Amino acid sequence: MRTPAYRVLDVGAARIAVHSPIARFHADLDTVYPHQGREDPADFADVRVTLLPDAPLLQPWKRQVSLWSEASRPFEPYPRHSALPLFEWGGNWLLAQRLNAYLLLHAGVAARNDRALILPAAPGSGKSTLTCALHLAGWRFLSDEFGVIEPDSGMVLPLLKPAALKNRSIEVIGAHPRAVLGPVFPGTRKGDVAHFVPDRDSHEGRHRPARPRLVVFPRYQAGSPLSCTPVPEAEAAMRLGLNSFNYRALGPVGFQAVIRLARESHAWELVYDDLDSAIETIETLLERAP
Amino acid sequence: MSISLSSATGLLLQGVAGPLQLAESDWEYILRLARMSGLHGRLAAANKDNPTLPAPIRRHLLSAERMCAFNGQMLQGELSSLASLCDGRFPVLLLKGAAYARQNQAFARGRFVSDVDLLVPREHLRSMEQRLRSAGWKPAELDPYDERYYRDWSHETPPMRLPGHFLEVDLHHAITPVTAGLRFDPAPLFDASEALPGTPFRALSLEDQVLHACLHCFQDGDLSLRVREVADIDGLLRSAAGQNEFAERLIGRAARLGLQRPLWYGLRFAHAWMETPHAQEMLARLEAPPALCRAAMERLVPLAMLPPDPDFPPSASVRLARLAMLTRYHLQRMPLRMLLPHLARKAGLRIRSRFAGAPSQNA
Repeated sequence: MRTPAYRVLDVGAARIAVHSPIARFHADLDTVYPHQGREDPADFADVRVTLLPDAPLLQPWKRQVSLWSEASRPFEPYPRHSALPLFEWGGNWLLAQRLNAYLLLHAGVAARNDRALILPAAPGSGKSTLTCALHLAGWRFLSDEFGVIEPDSGMVLPLLKPAALKNRSIEVIGAHPRAVLGPVFPGTRKGDVAHFVPDRDSHEGRHRPARPRLVVFPRYQAGSPLSCTPVPEAEAAMRLGLNSFNYRALGPVGFQAVIRLARESHAWELVYDDLDSAIETIETLLERAP
Repeated sequence: MSISLSSATGLLLQGVAGPLQLAESDWEYILRLARMSGLHGRLAAANKDNPTLPAPIRRHLLSAERMCAFNGQMLQGELSSLASLCDGRFPVLLLKGAAYARQNQAFARGRFVSDVDLLVPREHLRSMEQRLRSAGWKPAELDPYDERYYRDWSHETPPMRLPGHFLEVDLHHAITPVTAGLRFDPAPLFDASEALPGTPFRALSLEDQVLHACLHCFQDGDLSLRVREVADIDGLLRSAAGQNEFAERLIGRAARLGLQRPLWYGLRFAHAWMETPHAQEMLARLEAPPALCRAAMERLVPLAMLPPDPDFPPSASVRLARLAMLTRYHLQRMPLRMLLPHLARKAGLRIRSRFAGAPSQNA
């Protein structure tokens, strides 16, 4: 049987295989996954997708790209040049469907000495920006979208995909001298998007779990002074559940996992405007965490 | 003849029945076929204690098992909410998945349920619908045309949902559309129905369940990836395997309700794909469909119902087979004088919404 030439990305908690004849897409992949080696395309992949050029039936001149997975097309096509954002969002969506052996928090995750900080937050709260800023300040990058909690061990597993920065975050993070960003995709359905590339050390550590020690619920508020309030265990557990892709579906497994996570870490709510002082505060909080 | 399975699909159907021993990359392929056909829960249930599973496969089957447990929980919740609406004045039957689950059918382990199908006598349909509405169930929002379509031409009310609940409720008064050629008076279904112990609901007799599964499998509109429905027919027939003279009763019942044709196809594909016990003997006792119909079905059904290669978009032959089956469905469901205006109207609405920039449905 013929098999497409898949390119396999090992991102830690999952392996993603992708096939596409679109050259620009492969160039973009090279930019945002620069540390990925040559994985054997025949090995297991959690998600296999194909990105194919197409055009609407009634507007054959329009250049689009569709993401196919398992002979179906779960999303509307994107403009041809936006194959990378389509792959990133589509891949995340598929991972969220399939990784239900884990509790999946909607969170950024970074670690120091394998002691992990979890930043669960609603979109727009600044979790991606903060995760990237922490990484640039020397933290190990584990994920900007998924807090993958292994229910049996309580450990958090890296899911090392590039962080999708939106709109103003692109300038804020891009201004940093060590920041590596992929191309900017203007005017996607989530606004302008650019992908931030985690460093080689984080890539090398993608199979090394970390122990959750600190949970910070961030809230970016322009012009606000920094404020930091402790979140009681029970409330932290509940809010972790609310910021999860599959808490409800996991039933008792999810419940035990968020309880354990809340018990084994300190939880804070952080309202911030200035990134540097937010990072400084978070450093102190991690030192004081169990 | 193309009725035979690809070796991978054959393995999938074996894996739904019992543990498989495969290399990791083969397992991945089977897992993808299973997800496509909605059989991953059953694959997980049948391989739960399989010691030969590679670690990533075990993880994915665990994922499917957990989703299935959640689905089962949602079903129980929905049924207990619905139970309070049944006062015993008229029978309320659970159809398909909900009934299989309540009856603890072996093949219901790992079987996903997408909605709860209820069957009530036609004269009580409005009253049941009223009860659902008073208790908070809301029908999906339909335009007046779709609303009339359901009311006048269908055998069910528009799907209803209790806000915050995961499963939809479909309320039926028959198991065939009122306009279809195969329509029959559903009264005998109620007469033969059986109580579901511990609930106010009833279920179709096993014979009628088989016939309903066959009807649903081969007379529905979108047959894409419906191999799981053949797996239901197989499961039902296997659960009847110990019963004396089940075959006679089933064939007699099909004759009485005029459902020999769907039964023939159900048995044919269950035998071909799942080696269902006794299906072959029963087939021999039923009149086969005309050679031309049979050849067409044996050609088109596998293309439409079995999962195509997961690495590629569906091929032209698969899309054509699905379209052919959809056409067949529409022609059986409505006479042309009703169908053509209906399809024209639907196409008009779709084109209008496309040009108005409204988001269209996923392909």
